Order: sequence, then structure tokens, then C-alpha cells
Amino acid sequence: MNAWLTFSQDLIAQMPLIWLGLANTLLLASVISVTGLLLGIFVLYLSVSRNQWVRRATKAYISFFIGMPLIVLLFLMYYGAPQFGINISPFFVAVIGFTLNVAAYNAAYMTTAYNGLDPTELEAARAQGFSEVQVFRLITLPQVLRTSIPALTNQVISNIKDSSIAFLIQYTEFFARVQELASSNFQFFKAYLFAALVYLFLVSIVVLAARVVQKRLGLSRDG
Amino acid sequence: MSILSIRDLTKSFGTQQVLRGVSLDVHPREIKVLMGSSGCGKSTLLRCINRLVDPTSGSIFLNDQDVALVGTDLRWLRQQIGFVFQQFALFRHLTALDNVTLALRKIRGMSRVEAEQKAMLELAKFDMADHAGKYPSELSGGQKQRVAIARVLAMDPKILLMDEPTSALDPVKSREVSHLLTRLNEEGVTIICVTHDLTLAASLSNNITFLHEGIIHAQDSVQALAQCTDDPIIHRFFGRD
Repeated sequence: MNAWLTFSQDLIAQMPLIWLGLANTLLLASVISVTGLLLGIFVLYLSVSRNQWVRRATKAYISFFIGMPLIVLLFLMYYGAPQFGINISPFFVAVIGFTLNVAAYNAAYMTTAYNGLDPTELEAARAQGFSEVQVFRLITLPQVLRTSIPALTNQVISNIKDSSIAFLIQYTEFFARVQELASSNFQFFKAYLFAALVYLFLVSIVVLAARVVQKRLGLSRDG
Repeated sequence: MSILSIRDLTKSFGTQQVLRGVSLDVHPREIKVLMGSSGCGKSTLLRCINRLVDPTSGSIFLNDQDVALVGTDLRWLRQQIGFVFQQFALFRHLTALDNVTLALRKIRGMSRVEAEQKAMLELAKFDMADHAGKYPSELSGGQKQRVAIARVLAMDPKILLMDEPTSALDPVKSREVSHLLTRLNEEGVTIICVTHDLTLAASLSNNITFLHEGIIHAQDSVQALAQCTDDPIIHRFFGRD
């Protein structure tokens, strides 16, 4: 019982730093969720291009960044790039690395949804006089996003959880602060259990939000 | 004076020649019915007319303008020539009303209020005003068909292209389509209709254009073609043993 009390006191003492870490986690996860989605949409747009070289290049992009471990990409940019005189802050390394990686996954999810679209809908839009960009923006994208909501939600959840590896490039996010707490009092189990509960709470909020979005969009009407 | 005049139109996909020199005139307020067995090129011909596919050679004059030429303003062309697809191709994520208003707003540049007023008028013409708020998945095949036609006619096209309008409908709904197209034609709409449906063809036109292997093989009434026994190609398609 005393151990829990001591841990609680340490936790309260460290709380200002842990809040800052949590804020950094939320900032990183939010930014990469948005940038990863936007870049993913752009990659999807290129991947359905009528130019086969553009399609091939985007397939190569998706394969490369899905195949490369994220930690390798982050280390390349954070520890490798300075050898060429390129110094980027941990936050921006994390944003760039995660964005490239998350966009590849998002593009892959959305490509699967795109393949399920009725091609005659797209042809009908062209036959009405819509430009290719309008067909994508008004017909393709809304349907692809709706169909991809479960997969994109999972990606946002992954973004929250995976953002913890950013502490390996000196980005002091939530997990880095929990590490500091654990190593200050050697209460590793309690500290990591606390971290797990906080991540679970954050993920639950995302899941609930996704359910509300799905309900509002009325996915059942696809029928 | 033709509203649409097609001259020596060819279309090849790789080594496969689908259209092999089609020439055809369509007059204002005419219903031109195209028939032929699967793969004869009739749907490709429709797609060439509004440039969903580019012809390999030949000309397509809309009034006096060759719209087969490279550089034709496709947005303008596709407002002149509306296309109703075989499976209706309504946008699944939009209501019937939004299906009709989308092109009015984004292509014609109408305000939402203007577009909705025009769309409701078009939907009302087809008894679909009460269903304006429904999504395509909530509509029957016949209702989808009517929304698809309203969506195209809202753009005030000069010519309406219809690809197999009854293939996804039961016989009762097919008769309704026949009445609908006749009514539209009486109101001044020029129609080019591809169909396999002999009953529909006979009710729409006395002069069927029969395509075979990418060329116009015959032009006559359904009754005359059905009685033709000396041409094995026509007999195989129209003949009743």
C-alpha cells in the first residue's frame, strides 16, 4: 500500500511534466493524423491517375514506406542527416517521418476503398462534364473516406500509440515523461500501467468519436 | 438538317477494331434506336458521341461543329449531350436531389437555391419530388432510372443518349420507360437509345439502326427486320423460330 502511496506522490510531483508530455503526444498525434491523411489523399489521387508512370511511382512510394520500419526512417533523419549538415528538430523529424509512413498506410486503405467504387458512377460524372479533379473531389473522395473510416480510425489510434517511439529521437512526449518517472523511483510496473491506462483512455475517445462520425454519415444507407 | 451527323467513325482498342466506319444522321426531335448483338459497338458509339472515349478517326458534327476534334471543349460538349447509363450510375453518397443539383451548381455555376428549384421541377416531371431526400439505396430500379434521367435533363442537353435503359428493369417498369421516352420526345428532346429490348425499340421508332461488327448493317422497322429471313445476321438477332 505504501508503494502505491509513494508512487502517487511522485506522480503528482511529476504531473506538470507529464501534462507537458501528454500535450506533446497529442500535438504530434494530431498533426501526423492530419498531415498523414492529406498526403494520403494526394497519393490516392496520383495512384488513380491515367498516367501509368504516375501510378507506378505512387505504388512504389506506398510499398517503400510501408516496408520500411518507422524507427529506421526516424533515425535516418535524426541521427543520419546531421552527417550531411542537415539538422532538424525532433518534432519536425517525427512529423516528417510519421507523415510519410502514415500517408502510405492511409493511401493503401483508401485505394482498397476506391477499388470498391462503382466505376460507372465516375464515368457518369465525367459524362456530365465534371473535370477529373472535380470527379475526384466530389464523387470519389467522399465515398472513399466514408468507406475507409474504420481503417482510418485504426490509423489514428496507431498514431497515438506509435507516437511513443518519438522519445527515441529525444522528443519528450508522454511516454518519455513516464520513463523519467519510472526511473526516478524504480516503480516500473506502476508507471507503465499508468501509461497504458492513459493510452487506453485516449484511444477510447478516438473510438467513440469515430462511432459518432459513422452514425452521422449513416453508413447503413450504402445498401 | 441534322442535329448530329457522324461520318466514317472508327474506334479501335489496341488491335481490336470496334467501330469500322459508322455514318449516321440524327435529326432534331428524332428518336434514333441502335440495336445489335453484344460487342457490336453500339455502346462504344454512344461513348464516342460525348467523348467518354476518343474516336480513332472520323467526324462527329454537332450542328456544324466537329466535336471529334482534339481540343473540343468537353465540358461544353457534355452539357449539350446528356448520357443516361445502363445501371443509372447515381452517386450513392448523395440524395436524389443532390444528384440532380451537383452538376447545376458545380458546372453551370448556379446557387444552391437556384439549383434546388430547378432540380425539384425536373424531379416533379418524373413524379420523384416526394423522393428528393432519399438516397439511391432507398429507391427502386424504376425510381433510380427517373432520377438519372432528371439529372441529365436538368442540364438542358440538346441530345439525350440512353444506354440499355430497360435492361435493369422488370417488364412493367420497361413499359413505363417507353412511355417516358415517348413523352420526352414529344416535348422536343432528341434521343439516341441503345437497346436489346425489341418491344421498347418498336415502341420508340419505325427505323431501327442495326449494327453488326462495328458497321451499320441495316436500317428498318423492327417488324421488317424480324421478318427478314434472307440475312442470317439479322435473322439470328430478330428472328423468332
